[in-house]
Amino acid sequence: MGKFNVLQHDLVPEHHVVPKKDEDKVLSEIGIARDLLPKISRSDPAIKALEEIHGPLESGTIIKIIRKSPTMGYSVYYRAISSEVFK
Amino acid sequence: MPSIIFKDTKKNIQTLTKKAPVKYAVEADIKPGITEAYVTFDKKVFTYRLRISAVDEYKEDTSVILKKQTGLKTTLSVEVVEPMDPIPLSQFRKGKKKLTEFSDFEEVELPRIEVVEKTNYMDSLSSEVKEILELAKKKNVEISVSMAEELTSYKKSLKPKQFDELLMRVAKDLESKRIDPFEAVGIIAAQSIGEPGTQMTMRTFHFAGVREMNVTLGLPRLIEIVDARRIPSTPSMTVYLKPEFEKSEDIVMNVVKELENTTVIDVADIVTDITQMLLTIRPDEAKMSERLVNHSDLLDALAKMKGITVISDASNNDIVVKPQQESFKRLYQVQEQLKLLTIKGVPGIKRAIARVDQVTKSWILYTQGSNLKEVLEIDEVDANRTYTNDIIEIAQVLGIEAARNAIYNESLRTLSEQGLEVDQRHLMLVADMMTFGGSVRAVGRQGISGRKSSVLARAAFEITTKHLLRAGLLGEVDPLTGVAENIIVGQPITLGTGAVNLVYRAFSK
Repeated sequence: MGKFNVLQHDLVPEHHVVPKKDEDKVLSEIGIARDLLPKISRSDPAIKALEEIHGPLESGTIIKIIRKSPTMGYSVYYRAISSEVFK
Repeated sequence: MPSIIFKDTKKNIQTLTKKAPVKYAVEADIKPGITEAYVTFDKKVFTYRLRISAVDEYKEDTSVILKKQTGLKTTLSVEVVEPMDPIPLSQFRKGKKKLTEFSDFEEVELPRIEVVEKTNYMDSLSSEVKEILELAKKKNVEISVSMAEELTSYKKSLKPKQFDELLMRVAKDLESKRIDPFEAVGIIAAQSIGEPGTQMTMRTFHFAGVREMNVTLGLPRLIEIVDARRIPSTPSMTVYLKPEFEKSEDIVMNVVKELENTTVIDVADIVTDITQMLLTIRPDEAKMSERLVNHSDLLDALAKMKGITVISDASNNDIVVKPQQESFKRLYQVQEQLKLLTIKGVPGIKRAIARVDQVTKSWILYTQGSNLKEVLEIDEVDANRTYTNDIIEIAQVLGIEAARNAIYNESLRTLSEQGLEVDQRHLMLVADMMTFGGSVRAVGRQGISGRKSSVLARAAFEITTKHLLRAGLLGEVDPLTGVAENIIVGQPITLGTGAVNLVYRAFSK
């Protein structure tokens, strides 16, 4: 990690790792299969930063993203870690 | 906490990994107290970290792994060998200076910060808002946080029973305003952004003032955003300084100088002597002091160049440069290289200007050219607020969610600057769609539309023959679930009333 914390940047919304035991609950709540969730790359800077805190995250882990939304105040979004690496 | 860095062979590291914890003999004197060592194979990026528990003098022993056969001085007790994500050499610091080159077993520091998550938004809400959200949850209705914030003012003036009634009515109204299932939101968004787009200007806009700067705006900028170009036509950064620095003009000007990429031609004249095959660099004192460059900076920069001999004349400030290979071609090449040789500054940033924000009275820097990663590393810069208009760069440095926010912000700003009002939800949909797969993808042939699963829909969009031919060769199947393909075959589309299939079950007699 460099000298700045990606997770604290204004443009970056809150990223939280959904614990393994809660994953099924989340998926049934939003009524979607895991592989149909929006993706987030394994090499994404935000995931790298989360790995510094939580240790290695396997692909398929669900990340809960809480965005500041101009229409709703806050809105919740989910992404699943994909093994794809973009350059 | 100091650590050491050195170059090693892959083979040595492999044996260390296999045998750790183990003692490892190396050829340099190392101070005791070192706990970490970073290993590189190519002198550029560091890929392994050794955890060291003790540093002893070297004694011959069969259990010790030797780095070299001769000249061994110290034994390191290696506990673990950890592979890590590559760290470039420039991240290490010696004192306060960035490293550009190193000698083996040099003591350096790796500045690090503790990574912490943003605080949960729930903690920042007031207790009244939380109370309302909880009440809504109990009543089994969904209301958004902004709605709850608005309701707080009624909470005091109304009786609990009345408030419950209000809450229920709000929830009912919200429900009725929701978009219907199977509504074609994408088409509505496309039209809602497309129509105001026809009214946009093709002109580029200039910053008012003496030092003006060009920024692409209007329709060209909007196209740039949805096309997800690698580099926008006018990359530009907005750099904020940390609160303790942003009021002081001196510090601001220093940061400007630190940002601007200064080349030799900016501070000196280059005189070419063809008869003697020499190049003379004549530094311009006024320009040098304006750009905060001193003589030794110039010499340091020249030292990095290869294939030249630098002769510094002590009596005057001139620096004589002689190409090692004597030919006119080489002389010309060296001259061209000298012109563009960076003395200091951030690569990619051509110019930086500072302006005072009228409301907060603090300084904000605007740059021409963009290099987010390096600018965020500068000490005075507030790394949490600084941003760039290069969306791809944001995706690389800050992640896909930041890129999504950037797409939304940039497109909203481009439209509202022209006085056009587009509902934010349309722009959010576009931003979400572009970042769906984890990378920023363009709208259009190369991106979202080009990756539709249906052959007919793709063929109807662009390059018809290519898609049809490919589908024929590979035997693709089109399940006719989208809009375009159903129109082509003459069926009702799968939206609105077409989304419902009616099954008639006759009464059994």
